[in-house]
Amino acid sequence: MNFLTATFYYMAAASIVSALLAVTRRNPVHSMLWVLALFMHVAGIFLLLAAEFLAAVQVIVYAGAILIFYLFVVMLLDLPDEEARPRFGNHWPFAAAVGLSFAALAWVARIETPGHTRLAAEGAPLGSLAEVGMALFGPFALPFEIASLVLLAAIVGAVVIARRRPVQS
Amino acid sequence: MIVPAGTVLGLSAVLFGIGVFGFLARRNIILMLVSVEVMLNAVNVSLVGFSHHLGDARGQVLALFVIAVAAAEAGVGLGLVIALNRNKPGAAVADLTELKW
Repeated sequence: MNFLTATFYYMAAASIVSALLAVTRRNPVHSMLWVLALFMHVAGIFLLLAAEFLAAVQVIVYAGAILIFYLFVVMLLDLPDEEARPRFGNHWPFAAAVGLSFAALAWVARIETPGHTRLAAEGAPLGSLAEVGMALFGPFALPFEIASLVLLAAIVGAVVIARRRPVQS
Repeated sequence: MIVPAGTVLGLSAVLFGIGVFGFLARRNIILMLVSVEVMLNAVNVSLVGFSHHLGDARGQVLALFVIAVAAAEAGVGLGLVIALNRNKPGAAVADLTELKW
């Protein structure tokens, strides 16, 4: 086992442990910090899988923006009885069974993964970022624009939903 | 090839299962949304694994779209949490019964 493989297994184990802790901690802020650890380790996995741009986006957008947004909301809301109440509903064994069976199903299905076939266009290798850029502004130009529309709709929707409405009689 | 593709997909499967468990079991609406983020991250791991395995950048582009949708979901979901919190303090889903007939 060489160094990179060992690093991958460390990242995988650490992300599984941080995900488990994130969904089971009682204090929401602790959960958020474990999710931060998960996102950082997933970014490391992206780096090992030659997706450098995606690793940067994972750290900047996911850990830097989305997670901080969650942390802001957790800290803004007053959750005094959060630590006193049970953190799981009464049906949590059922939820655990569903999660386990899904993971088992996907675990079995992954055995059917096809062997190594290179589908990319032949020619000089561009490197990860250039290839992603060419795909993003070539065949994926329309979905890219639609993604910007989705984000615009989300911005407007969040403002409309969270706005304080004047009291109507 | 650092690891076989099946290992990456196995990691993705385990992370997704943890996210499903968290979404179904937690009673706090913010932590349910965070579990959705864990599931989306699991999907991203699987997409990047395929991208690496097949030598194709399209998987990474799809993962970028997943991140964009996750950002939109976080914005709208947390806007809803704030609006709900204004009517009824707390973030427990069991308290949200106004639409229950």
